[in-house]
Amino acid sequence: MPTDIQAPEILYGPLSPMLIVFAAACIGVLVEALAPAARRRGIQVVLAVGGLLAALVAIIVQRGARTLTAGDAIAVDGPTLFIQGVLVVLGVLSILLLAERGLDGSGGAVVARASTTPGSREDMRLADSDAMQSEVFPLAMFSLGGMMLFPASNNLLLMFVALETLSFPLYLMAGLARRRRLLSQEAAVKYFLLGAFASAFFIYGVALLYGYAGSVDAGKIFDATGDVGSNDVLLYLGLAMLAVGLLFKIGAVPFQAWTPDVYQGSPTPVTALMAACTKIAAFGAVLRVFYVAVGRDQWDWRPMMWAIAILTMVVGAILAVTQTDVKRMLAYSSVAHTGFILIGVIAVSKAGLSGTLFYLATYGFTTMAAFAIVTLVRDSSGEATHLAQWTGLGRRSPLVAGVFAFLLFAFAGIPLTSGFMAKFAVFQAGTAGGAGVLVVVGVVASAVTAFFYARVVVLMFFNEPAADGPTVAIPSALTATTIALGLAVTIVLGVYPQPMLDLADQAALFIR
Amino acid sequence: MNPSYYLFLAALLFTIGALGVLLRRNAILVFMSIELMLNSVNLTLVTFSRIRGTLDGQIMAFFVMVVAAAEVVIGLAIIMSIFRTRRSASVDDANLLKY
Amino acid sequence: MLNNYVPILVLFVLAFGFAGFSVGAATFTGPRRYNRAKYDAYECGIEPTPQPMGGGRFPVKFYLTAMLFIVFDIEIIFLYPWAVAFSQLKLFGLVEMALFIGTVFIAYAYVWRRGGLEWD
Repeated sequence: MPTDIQAPEILYGPLSPMLIVFAAACIGVLVEALAPAARRRGIQVVLAVGGLLAALVAIIVQRGARTLTAGDAIAVDGPTLFIQGVLVVLGVLSILLLAERGLDGSGGAVVARASTTPGSREDMRLADSDAMQSEVFPLAMFSLGGMMLFPASNNLLLMFVALETLSFPLYLMAGLARRRRLLSQEAAVKYFLLGAFASAFFIYGVALLYGYAGSVDAGKIFDATGDVGSNDVLLYLGLAMLAVGLLFKIGAVPFQAWTPDVYQGSPTPVTALMAACTKIAAFGAVLRVFYVAVGRDQWDWRPMMWAIAILTMVVGAILAVTQTDVKRMLAYSSVAHTGFILIGVIAVSKAGLSGTLFYLATYGFTTMAAFAIVTLVRDSSGEATHLAQWTGLGRRSPLVAGVFAFLLFAFAGIPLTSGFMAKFAVFQAGTAGGAGVLVVVGVVASAVTAFFYARVVVLMFFNEPAADGPTVAIPSALTATTIALGLAVTIVLGVYPQPMLDLADQAALFIR
Repeated sequence: MNPSYYLFLAALLFTIGALGVLLRRNAILVFMSIELMLNSVNLTLVTFSRIRGTLDGQIMAFFVMVVAAAEVVIGLAIIMSIFRTRRSASVDDANLLKY
Repeated sequence: MLNNYVPILVLFVLAFGFAGFSVGAATFTGPRRYNRAKYDAYECGIEPTPQPMGGGRFPVKFYLTAMLFIVFDIEIIFLYPWAVAFSQLKLFGLVEMALFIGTVFIAYAYVWRRGGLEWD
């Protein structure tokens, strides 16, 4: 006899930030369908930025929300709202970078028509026109919506759907570069095949955890870990598979192989979105899985994460030293940062959680500004990303080189930058949480990374510029805003971090 | 019949799919191997649904199928675009990005 | 009890019988014209090896149609559980399903307006 099904209660208030972003993305698709071609780009930019700002307002309105909703599938709590707030602001900045068209003729960084064959006569003609594939804005919005849902997912199936929602648009966007299209398409293929491979592991892990707990709710899995009679083999196998998918997204060793290739091949604004926002969202999901779902079994998963954190820091730092391309160097530096942030995750404490959140915010803004600078240094064939081409940039354009040097110092964790405060926060939490060895490795790895950042600074300021070197393009207000805001956050959080630390501290409590 | 045989079968299929991804050189075949992995997940979900006596697993299989379909579309679009450029779907030919 | 399985057994016999008959009949009645292509190893899908540049046009529209079919076809899967539990889900289920179909239609509108459904 079928019984009545209770409709899940849906609290639209706490969900409103995500609903606004997804709605803006859907309207963006309609704009692509209905608006005349010439006006699409302008409408899309206004729509995307407006949608994200509206979502930011919604997040501020909901700042006190601590609730489970939609049948316990979505958890809107402190970490969720903190991460969503950071994502939305960074999302606005990356949309501004995508909308920039003053640097490359009048076209911007995104391909004019993705369906033309690279190198064909039509492609050459379109590359110098002002056309662009304005679908990139709805794609970015869908991706950002998925990123906001990812750390909010209290249900592992929803987490999988969110993972794919954030990944699919990124796979496509990776292949949309205006210049060097072969490289870009290759990056898209690699990112897609490896990403799909990793998410297959993720969902297999979800299936095994379903077999373990009989449910994929994080809370139910937590309850099941307290039962003595459960089949722990399923738990460990499932968790390991789940971790493969998550560690791929944060770019931890040994799942980092895609990072440099994809970062280098993608259009730089998309790389900025990927490097800053994807990492933040994925760490949010990592925190929810390891703190909420399997928080009781921390003695089982911590050794595994120890090994991964150490490997990530060491490999990221050492390989960064050998790079000759600015974007690849930043990619390996982001791998090393993943290792540092993992120290905060491994601490499994309130301090570790708030330190991780703070680190993610500082890292996101610094990364966004650094990639924005990369878009400025150009020669006749597009962006000049080879390090040799950056020789003597400080003589030619002291302001841009100076800002980039400052951002590199923030990556290295020099005092009076946000990077120092962030590293301090996670290292302190790590020491208190009994991860002293990790902190020692972290300090050594920081020193190694500081070495190669210093090498770039020396290259830019103390070497003679080459005669036929690249020029520094003058950005429009769009890119300038992104750089200025990223730089401002990097400075302010380095000099006066207390309000942000307090905010992260207040946010640092998961609900179950 | 012991339903856990289906779990072993699914694990075997998943392994075959994973090996296919690692060993095949044609992007389309790599991609088909990934789909095989997703289908083995569906088998696992349905089997656990049977063992546990809850319907959640069957509904989850629907979601996995839809995600797999979306993945097919995205993947074909990307592989198509690179194939039209290079006239080759071999992953070994995609070698511009290194170091 | 095993009687329940008799129809399946009959189906198997029919299927094998039909396949055997078809292959056998083709062998006896069909013409045989051997050429180089027929002696090649059969492999379906895209040629894994590089082909000469400009080796003819590439029929992209089959892929486009296939992709659109897959997406819209699979979305229907969510209608099945809803249809089974339609009467218990009441108005809530109807509204949710209308929202779902509405979002699918946004994608449809995009495909339609941008010429994805035109063959030439």
